[in-house]
Amino acid sequence: MIDVRSVRKEFADIEAVKEVSLHVARGSIYGLLGSNGAGKTTLLKMLAGIYKQDRGDIFIGGEPVFENTNVKQKLLFLPDALYFFPQATIRQMAQFYRDLYPSWSEERFTRLQEAFPLALDKKIHRMSKGMQRQAAFWLAFSVKPEVMILDEPLDGLDAVMRQKVKNLLVQEVAERQMTVIISSHNLREVEDLCDHIGILHQGEIVLEKEMDELKTDVHKIQVAFRGGIPSSFLTGLDAVYKEQRGSVLLCIVRGQKEKVEAYIHQFEPVIFDVLPLTLEEIFVYEMGGVGYAIENILV
Amino acid sequence: MRSKIFSYNRSLVMQNVRNVGWIGIVHLLLLFAAIPLRMLMIYTNQKNGYSPVIRNVFELSNAFQGMIAFTVPVLLAIFVFRYLQTKRSVDYMHSLPLRRETLFWQQMLFGVLLLVIPVIVTMLVAALLCQLPIENMHISAGDLVWWTGEMLLMELFVFSASVLVGMLTGISVLQGVFAYILFLFPAGISVLILMNMRYMLSGFSADYYLSANLERIVPFVRFVELVDKPLAAFEMVRYALAVVVCCVLSIWLYKRRHSEAAGQAIAFPVLQPVFSFGVTFCFMLVGGLYFGETQRSIGWILFGYVAFSLVGFFIASAIIEKTWRIFHRWKEYAIFIVAIMVVGSFTRFDITGYEKRQPALSDIKRVYFGESVYQFERQAEENYISYVQSDQFLQTTQNIKNVYAFHRQLIEDRPTPFAFGENIRSVVIGYVLKNGEKMVRTYSIPIDEYKPFYEAIMESREYKHNYYLLLQDNVSPIRQITLRTETKTVQIADPKQIESFLAVLKTELKEEPFTEMISPIDEWGTIELLQSDGGQMQLSWKKSYARIDAWLKQHGLLSKARVTADDVAYAIVVKNDARTPLYDLVENPKFVKELETRTDVLRITDKRQLDECLQKASSYETKSRYIIAFYRTAHSEPEWHVMDEETLPSLIRKQLP
Repeated sequence: MIDVRSVRKEFADIEAVKEVSLHVARGSIYGLLGSNGAGKTTLLKMLAGIYKQDRGDIFIGGEPVFENTNVKQKLLFLPDALYFFPQATIRQMAQFYRDLYPSWSEERFTRLQEAFPLALDKKIHRMSKGMQRQAAFWLAFSVKPEVMILDEPLDGLDAVMRQKVKNLLVQEVAERQMTVIISSHNLREVEDLCDHIGILHQGEIVLEKEMDELKTDVHKIQVAFRGGIPSSFLTGLDAVYKEQRGSVLLCIVRGQKEKVEAYIHQFEPVIFDVLPLTLEEIFVYEMGGVGYAIENILV
Repeated sequence: MRSKIFSYNRSLVMQNVRNVGWIGIVHLLLLFAAIPLRMLMIYTNQKNGYSPVIRNVFELSNAFQGMIAFTVPVLLAIFVFRYLQTKRSVDYMHSLPLRRETLFWQQMLFGVLLLVIPVIVTMLVAALLCQLPIENMHISAGDLVWWTGEMLLMELFVFSASVLVGMLTGISVLQGVFAYILFLFPAGISVLILMNMRYMLSGFSADYYLSANLERIVPFVRFVELVDKPLAAFEMVRYALAVVVCCVLSIWLYKRRHSEAAGQAIAFPVLQPVFSFGVTFCFMLVGGLYFGETQRSIGWILFGYVAFSLVGFFIASAIIEKTWRIFHRWKEYAIFIVAIMVVGSFTRFDITGYEKRQPALSDIKRVYFGESVYQFERQAEENYISYVQSDQFLQTTQNIKNVYAFHRQLIEDRPTPFAFGENIRSVVIGYVLKNGEKMVRTYSIPIDEYKPFYEAIMESREYKHNYYLLLQDNVSPIRQITLRTETKTVQIADPKQIESFLAVLKTELKEEPFTEMISPIDEWGTIELLQSDGGQMQLSWKKSYARIDAWLKQHGLLSKARVTADDVAYAIVVKNDARTPLYDLVENPKFVKELETRTDVLRITDKRQLDECLQKASSYETKSRYIIAFYRTAHSEPEWHVMDEETLPSLIRKQLP
């Protein structure tokens, strides 16, 4: 659904996005992770047709997005800094969206009022930050877009509202095969939501994985041998991390679980456990090579 | 089904009405205040007997209408495209399923409506009010339509130009500032460049180019003039064309403009150097002009160039970078300096040969010689005839040669453009060639050094003939002559006397040396010649006209016509070594009072000597070494004059060395 090919974008003398390619399939939720200034917002604004990329191509549903009304009618972008017309009420904004998006559903708009307890005729500017975001989601869901691009969308929402919005998103994806790309600097926030994850660091995608694949491909193991660690033990393993605690060797390895287990059994370990791994840990180990203070990315 | 375009329009129009609609209301109210209200005010004022003549709508409130036409559209352009200048709104608007073209025309159309509707409503209300019986108000339906057209054209011009500026910048405040700069720019830069060229090129005639109605290209000035001079067809086409060009350029730029330009001083990075170097250059010219006109020395001018260009560069860079800390950009300034030095030296060392250029003598049809350039182009407008014409065209071979030789000499001497003072005179030399080409040069030169050149030209028969209107053949007969001085007046009405007086006067004029033509010792008064066609000619009655004196004496009119030695009891001559200006001395009561009792002064009572003093006393120069006071009777208020050292009577020279 979303196809990004070798896209670059420069601002003055800063290269905000360099050579990014990614693909998001229809009906999937793609989490774009990265620290502040990684280039997430820039990339999303290019996807939304706001910025024009300096190089590369962006296709949504097979069509270039920039200045393409057809594509943009099916696409909704929710920026991190929200904008509403000065002095506008939700009712007025709804009228505006109704005129602009053919897919607007009046029925859905009415139904969603239950989820978002906001006054229709109150000026949006007078509302709190969290309420403004609710209003934005209310309008966005009522448009029933095919693609939703969300930039740090959960900021400012309380825990209950967060869950509600997530549920709505998942529901839309399940029911209508909506495609979502969602950015965050907080992995935990979107961990339960996304089926794909990409990490953007200094304008480049340093990691792109399917969520399931991530969890099955990396293993944390704990082994101990009777006369110390055999010298050839590590050579046959793709270890991204190792740590020796007394006679116990703790390491994180990549590879198919069965193969790894078979390999280790050859050495007849005294202790051998495969430990559970959090998503966060996976990233920490995956990204060790990038030389970045990983904690900052994942909070 | 509603058409898509229509529904887009409706939603955007609603937003515009909410956010920008007030400008339309303000526009309407201002126009109401400027026109219908003004008409009502004049109507009610009639009772008080005050009713100004109003010939067209502009005459009702010219300046006020100008203010409206040059503020409302600028404001409107800023607000209609306000969304482009802040990050959040531009991102939002550009994320919507609307093409930039749709947005642009939508906003333009809305803006145009806010200009057009109030103007038309005002016109209709004014048409109604025209039915009121208002004395001296002559506004026809045609005037109203014409006003509507001109007002709209000007407002649309200001609006579209401001929109164009808005596409080039990403800050609303700068959009306003730049819009006004744009209106002044063509005239301003022309003046700056022309004035500075004078310092670079000897003989460069800035006045010649400046005289070409430069103020007409300042739209605001043109607007104020609409009251007397309606737009000519070619001007209307020009303004209409400007509107179209601005719109086309705006949409072209808008399509290429990045959303992230919001908040940037200059929306297109390519234009940033153009902007900063442009500002630097303009500041440099202003600096040069300021010090050139006040200090008149090349050193100060160079100082002005460097100091002001630095300031300009600093300001431009600060605007672009939005910080004062721009010192790291010194390299760009260095590039500017190098570039400007190259261009400057091209000009200064005159690689085009401008200074030395002189047409071939055989190609010249006629030459122009005078003090100012204004007559060079305006020969057709002969509605004003002056009695003395120092700027004129000459065409005898001898005079063409004389002027040519003078110019040759000036080219060789390359007189400094900074000369000024009492003996400096500006000389303008122009050529009209046989093929119709023209060329003009202006110099400021010390008269004394070029005396022979002046003599050859100004004392020539042809020049004199053109110089004094009286010497021309087509002068209608003189009916009466009046000799008028401060205290006495004599009239000559006898035809025979008139004839013989005129003959003497004409001889005086023909024989007059050029020094008397340009700086006479002094004049007794004026000679007024009343012509048979009712016209009047005035000439100055110079002290050097000895033949006139003789004629008056012969006819027993001298003492009736002017002050003579008989009118003076005595005179006191005092030395003024400090060369204090005469007007300062006279203001000092102590000096005046003590004069009669001082011993270091010369008291003249001899009639013959008084007569000589009267002849040579002058009131033109003020800082002379000798001051003379003529007393009509003892202790009366004296008349103050100065004596020139060169023509000092020998008595004074002896007694007061």
